[in-house]
Amino acid sequence: MSPPLAELQARIAGALLAGDGRGLAADLVRGSAERFRVHLRNYEESLAAALRDKFPACAWLLGAELLDAAARAFARAHPPRRPCIAEYGAEFPRFVAAFGRAAELAYVQPFAELEWAVGNAAIAVDSEPLAWRSIASLGTDGLLATHVTLQQGLRYLRVPCRVDELMTIYLGDRATPAAFALDASPAHLEVRGARGAVSIALLEDAEHAFRAALAAGEAIGAAAERALDVDGAFDAGAALRRLVDAGSVTRIRHSPEGAAS
Amino acid sequence: MTSPAAAPPTALSPGAGVGLRLPHLAAAAAGAPLAGWVEIHPENFLANPHARELLLAVRERSAVSFHTVGVSAGSADGVDREHLARVAALARELEPFAISGHLAWSTHRGLFLNDLLPLPYDDDTVAIVAANVHEIQDTLGRAYLVENPASYVALGASKLAEAEFLAELVDRTGCRLLCDVSNVHVSGSNLGYDAYAYLDAFPAHAVAELHMGGFAAEISGDAAGAQVLIDTHDGPIADTVLELYAHALRRFGALPTLIEWDSDLPDLALLVNEAARADRAALGALAGPMAHVAAAR
Repeated sequence: MSPPLAELQARIAGALLAGDGRGLAADLVRGSAERFRVHLRNYEESLAAALRDKFPACAWLLGAELLDAAARAFARAHPPRRPCIAEYGAEFPRFVAAFGRAAELAYVQPFAELEWAVGNAAIAVDSEPLAWRSIASLGTDGLLATHVTLQQGLRYLRVPCRVDELMTIYLGDRATPAAFALDASPAHLEVRGARGAVSIALLEDAEHAFRAALAAGEAIGAAAERALDVDGAFDAGAALRRLVDAGSVTRIRHSPEGAAS
Repeated sequence: MTSPAAAPPTALSPGAGVGLRLPHLAAAAAGAPLAGWVEIHPENFLANPHARELLLAVRERSAVSFHTVGVSAGSADGVDREHLARVAALARELEPFAISGHLAWSTHRGLFLNDLLPLPYDDDTVAIVAANVHEIQDTLGRAYLVENPASYVALGASKLAEAEFLAELVDRTGCRLLCDVSNVHVSGSNLGYDAYAYLDAFPAHAVAELHMGGFAAEISGDAAGAQVLIDTHDGPIADTVLELYAHALRRFGALPTLIEWDSDLPDLALLVNEAARADRAALGALAGPMAHVAAAR
């Protein structure tokens, strides 16, 4: 009796993830077993190619050979969970940072995380920004309970060293310097992208806390409290004005189910 | 009042279209000449807002079809409903004239294996695939086009020929078929059957679209050192496939035909020329119905 489809598919999936089709000999018609290598190769190569496409700066930093080896190992250890391969690879920065000689370099994970953020920001599109007068009319009490929607191409990161300087060299298409002194001080970054263009800006700690909290969906009042925890002199009104004037806010809504603008 | 001429094209003439891949998207959106229609993989657009914006611009001047690579109609544990819902939402936005996918499986217990994997052709599998196709069609609100795969291996559990399996699937679900002529050639060569006999057995009444793509030959590593054909989509259409295409047209009639070229992408203009080459081949095969298409190029 032939095995149920689910069992057969479990065996084929296992073979793909293991990179070894020898266990399928009993399932395949004679003469087919050797050709199963086409599927083994398709699985590994297609995912490795997707990761190479997403992390070209890491290949620049680490070398194409190491990046490719890490991508192939990642494909086996972390198979995609969604059919949209554009979304695959969020866990790769942690993985590649522990892979081979990359494990000796403390800046690999934050650099790869920055590249992931840059890549996702670059494919965003900007929406019509909100004007300051739309927010100013709310008054202080209304403002504290208001949530904002930011441009979809904004990302906020804290990096333990200045990997943004390395990324700027890469994105600037400048010749790779023979030596580079990495500034070991931590930094807070705002990555902003849309329609293929990306910029990376340094933010003060409190400003970063405020914007990151807003991006995470917190109300303006709660975001201001997070910033005040960092800097007791933080001026939330001025910070909000800077954010709006930068064209970063696209929508406001009152918490939790209030009217939207 | 909106001019009818300004509406995005939805009706489709028989003739060749091209696969529109991301590297060509900006040029296409900016007005570069296209073939009669374009096919997209929705998976390339679901998480890429910029690409989606450019595609909307293309859609204003070109008919579009969807070819899904992630719906996994052959999975024993069912289709990925979340993914299917995302494809359906994109379809509502872009109104493709057709939505197709493969007689294959890609997902298993929450993992996406990013390949089109083989199915055993037996009654149990027909029942599972039919249930999945019913769900796909219910979600999309339209007939789904199921494509014959490029096969490298045959499973011992198979009891039906592929064409018989597809005919049964059509009977049970009312789905339509996408006949990939290159896959017929590749599979026939790899599994040792006659490609022309395969087409003769294919359920002609259900065929709604054709595909052709490039393939590559490599030597198997087994003791016999046999040749294996790989469905690479990385080059022009082989003359042997164009001859098989002519046979398919004579059997199925004039149909929208896609030129698949996904790897080692050429310039868009070369791809469009390849579509014109397919139209000329069609003109030779069917002097009547295709004449107006070829003449317009």
